[in-house]
Amino acid sequence: MNKIVFFGGKGGVGKTTCSASYAVFSAKSGLKTLLVSTDPAHSTSDIFEKKIKNEITNILPNLDAIEISGEKESKIYMDNVKISLKNVVSPVIVKEINKQIDAASISPGTEEAALFDKMIEIITEKNDEYDRIIFDTAPTGHTVRLLTLPELLGAWLDTLIKKRSKSVTLMSMANHHGQTDKKDIDNDEVIKILRKRYEKINKAKKIMMEDKLLSFIFVINAEKLPIDETVKAINILEKYNVLVDGIVVNKILPENMKDDFWKSKKEQEQKYLDIIMETFKGKKIFKLPLLQEDMKSNNIENIADKFSEFN
Amino acid sequence: MDNEKVKEFLNNFKLFFQGATDFNRKSQSLLMKESHNEMDDFILLCFGDILGIPIPTSYYSLELLPLIADDLDGWQRRMVSRLYIWGEKWGDFDLDA
Repeated sequence: MNKIVFFGGKGGVGKTTCSASYAVFSAKSGLKTLLVSTDPAHSTSDIFEKKIKNEITNILPNLDAIEISGEKESKIYMDNVKISLKNVVSPVIVKEINKQIDAASISPGTEEAALFDKMIEIITEKNDEYDRIIFDTAPTGHTVRLLTLPELLGAWLDTLIKKRSKSVTLMSMANHHGQTDKKDIDNDEVIKILRKRYEKINKAKKIMMEDKLLSFIFVINAEKLPIDETVKAINILEKYNVLVDGIVVNKILPENMKDDFWKSKKEQEQKYLDIIMETFKGKKIFKLPLLQEDMKSNNIENIADKFSEFN
Repeated sequence: MDNEKVKEFLNNFKLFFQGATDFNRKSQSLLMKESHNEMDDFILLCFGDILGIPIPTSYYSLELLPLIADDLDGWQRRMVSRLYIWGEKWGDFDLDA
């Protein structure tokens, strides 16, 4: 199994349960593990019955967890911009510009961008510290965008750096009688910020795509819609050369049903299980039973143990 | 006279003639204009949404705002008054040079 593992899948299939128990399993097998919850619902705290905030919190030996939220991250970012504005610009302009920032904070995509930023920060900065980083992601489409982001942002930053460098070079030529001073470009604050972001994005891209440290596990149920959605998601991920490592089929009904309703339900499940075996041939397929009671901190280890077959 | 002084004298000599004959004024203003144009494009790529052009990366350009804020007002005015392409092109010819 790879170092960075993303759990994805349709809403309600049990991503959080699976990622939490997989994290416990990883920690028990001796790997220093970080569990990152990106789902705004943040059920990880509820499962471990421990308050996890947007800081890395220790839960079990070898297991740390963090819940990140786009809303909080974007607020931190905006506040930082506002503080540095105060130091640079006159108060009159600050008032006008603050309006601009507040408008940006409610525009669509802002929280998403802040969340991605934080995820990239965790991937690049915590990569050396942990043996395994597990992401419990929000439903499918979201995560796919994270993988396209380095491409999009990289090209944009590249253009910006070139434009700004050209402008600074021309200005430097104008001031030094046709001579350019290379220091002018390196000392330019705008270019410094852009280069820093560019390096961060490239580092994340290298870790995720080139070093092949990233893999996906999809959680599905033996039902039609989760299967269909996962097929689509796998196609997209393979376009980006991201390994889809395994499929967890969650909530499998017990054998020996007595009631007619449950008997026919079980038959239908078997039909879908056959389809799953056929569709995802070549991938690791792992079945988890439907639990009698909710997963909580006291029974999570039992489920975690089941993952030993999966690895 | 030692080397330093010769250098200083020659430099001053050069500067005197540069000022007196004004050889560089035209080229300097051209370079500056070109630099400002480049910068206007740069701001457009960062903060186009101020003009109503959606920029998918606008979240990431916010951190540049403190460094660009001073130019933003003038930039906005220049962009909005770009109504007549003739007027703009005419402005490129510096007739009294």
